[in-house]
Amino acid sequence: MKYLFHYKRIGLLRYLSNHEMIRMIERVLRRTDVRFKMTEGFHQRLKLSFGQALPTGVIDRAGLFLLSTDEILDHDFLKAANSVSPPEFEIFKIDKVDEHFELGKSVDGYFFKLIFLKEPEIQDGWKVENKGKIWIVSFFNAFNSHSPKPGEFGQYLTIRNNAIFKD
Amino acid sequence: MKKDSNVLKKLVDILDKVEKPSRYIGNEYNSVKKDAELSMCLIFPDLYDVGMSHFGVKILYDIVNKTDFAKCERAYLPWPDMQKIMIDKGIPLYSYETYTPVKAFDVIGFTLQYEMSYPNVLRALRLGDIPIKSAHRSDEDPIVIAGGPCTFNPTPIEDFVDAFLIGDGEEATTEMLVAIKKGRSRSEKLEFLSKIEGVYVPRYNNKVRKRIISEMKMDWAPVDQIIPYTEIVHDRGVVEIMRGCTNGCRFCQAGMIYRPVRERSATEIYDVSKKIVERTGYEELGLLSLSSADHSQINDTVDLLKKITDTSFSIPSTRANALTVEIAEAIGTIRKSGITIAPEAGTQRLRNVINKGITEDDIFSAAKLAIEKGWKKIKLYFMIGLPTETDEDVKAIGILIDKIKRMGFHEISATIGVFVPKAHTPFQFEAQIMPDEAFRRFKLLNWTRRFAKLNFTDPYKAIIEGVLSRGGKAIGEVVEEAEKQDLIFADWDEMFNPGKWMKIFEDKKIDLQKIMSAKSFKDPFPWDFVDSGISKGFLWSEHLKSIKERLTPDCRDGCTGCGVCQKFNVDNVIQEGIS
Ligand code: SF4
Repeated sequence: MKYLFHYKRIGLLRYLSNHEMIRMIERVLRRTDVRFKMTEGFHQRLKLSFGQALPTGVIDRAGLFLLSTDEILDHDFLKAANSVSPPEFEIFKIDKVDEHFELGKSVDGYFFKLIFLKEPEIQDGWKVENKGKIWIVSFFNAFNSHSPKPGEFGQYLTIRNNAIFKD
Repeated sequence: MKKDSNVLKKLVDILDKVEKPSRYIGNEYNSVKKDAELSMCLIFPDLYDVGMSHFGVKILYDIVNKTDFAKCERAYLPWPDMQKIMIDKGIPLYSYETYTPVKAFDVIGFTLQYEMSYPNVLRALRLGDIPIKSAHRSDEDPIVIAGGPCTFNPTPIEDFVDAFLIGDGEEATTEMLVAIKKGRSRSEKLEFLSKIEGVYVPRYNNKVRKRIISEMKMDWAPVDQIIPYTEIVHDRGVVEIMRGCTNGCRFCQAGMIYRPVRERSATEIYDVSKKIVERTGYEELGLLSLSSADHSQINDTVDLLKKITDTSFSIPSTRANALTVEIAEAIGTIRKSGITIAPEAGTQRLRNVINKGITEDDIFSAAKLAIEKGWKKIKLYFMIGLPTETDEDVKAIGILIDKIKRMGFHEISATIGVFVPKAHTPFQFEAQIMPDEAFRRFKLLNWTRRFAKLNFTDPYKAIIEGVLSRGGKAIGEVVEEAEKQDLIFADWDEMFNPGKWMKIFEDKKIDLQKIMSAKSFKDPFPWDFVDSGISKGFLWSEHLKSIKERLTPDCRDGCTGCGVCQKFNVDNVIQEGIS
């Protein structure tokens, strides 16, 4: 069976590199009671495949990864996994997906939000909302196109907000 | 203790600007946040990536956090890029659990694992806004304590530390915290501390005897080990399978100061390992000891550990004999990084001088077995500058590397260090070679570069380590000046500046030749007041035997008279075979 995990990382966890994030998630899964299949070799790893990598420093509310297993992963599993997760990391949904499901083929892209503390210079495709002293910019980014880096446009915070699936 | 939400707020603003920000974020899984009457912050005086790999901190963190009256948090020395931003933005050194400035803790505990970290200790105090010198601290400041192997010669840094704990910390740390809690003033706290066995408070004690635990209690094995987010030097769970070593290598300080041997049983090792894997999710566990192959139940241990699936195990496989290779093979899959063995010296004569109880046959059978078991890479460790060493001994290192390479390894590398005599060892009476001589001896090995990767350690580093190890109180001024001149992280090649160190020695009129020279039994040492349990007479007789190339057997097979067991009324704790 193949499962699609949706997770978020907030707060200081945004400073994890992509590689550090993957290892952290592997260890969360290893702390649950479920025994997953491992790769061979000295360092046995879980077989996971991840959505698009993010630059260090970006808050993520739209993290995705796929996991194949013979076990049934239900809501209780989700709760158990979160109970052994570090603060500021949360798996918020697990969907059972078709065996042929692939992230590259199914994810259209992501919506990003940039928070500014001063009025930003508007770029193509940006939607800007002004709320008192802050400006919230949102835009769509196609899967595997360049992700905004922290501070790239002078923004205070960078958030990957949600994933958009095809169909 | 007041929490400082300011630190956290400021951190968020700067972490985008430093290298590897994850090493500063704290709040890792299994870190402990609790309220308690007394607070302690353990500071590892090096980068997070190094400090998190260190096992002693894990033990004490766990023990203190299990008490009902005290809590323990952690801090590390930030890399210079982070230090600079912290100073600019007014962020003090802070704890990784609650982002509290270290100054707000009741107790600061340093672990002194290597002498080169002394300037780092001072830098941590400075970043923490705590007076560097003990004499300048007031009732408002934390009590600064230190432990770890370097405390066996505390004199070079005794101006900066309020109280040293010498020896095993499992029982003494809690006693120290109780004393600090009871004392109403700084001087009363220090007075109470000075009465604890194993504790040295400069100006209060003129003698101190190391602290010892008679066995390794199950309760003291930390299982809820903190998982770093950052990739660190040894990112794995750790089980200490044995403390102490009975081999009696004459150069080895750990082998002398951690006597007697205390083994943990195979079943306990298994129970602890299983819990660590469950609580951490670690994919690798390291079995820690000074000489794993000597553990009486090592085969039973390996058999039991095989029951823990999806986990790899590693042991420090430095003892160059076939058993070590067998264990390394039995315990896990073959590692890409290759197998490591430490012949230490090139000739049998010199190996006898240092009492390294292995023969050339042992070395070759270890290498042969490694080849048979499929290892393609091998790493070897040697030292130059050992007592009585001749050019023939040095050249023999090259010949040995050549012979081992010819056995069929694809890749061979050898690390060759300069021997630094350490306090409380039979070689404390010996001279250390100076850099010019070390470079000359290194040259005798250059021809082996044709087929082996040679890695010479810096002879200037050895000199500085030698001064910090065998120097006395006067070295304190050197350490203070070194920190002022930014000679921190001296162990890191990119930060090491020998010229500046040499200049400081000169300015402070440190007689290098004198510190480096050979000593006699009658010569006083700065650490004579520290009783490791091993008598100076035993160390001297071992020194004399070394010159005559005579061996002293392993004391598992019968006491060889170092004196520790009688003095402390303890014994080697050896497990019975259980198969
Ligand atoms: S007293 Fe004897 S048995 Fe005990 S550590 Fe020393 S040599 Fe070994």
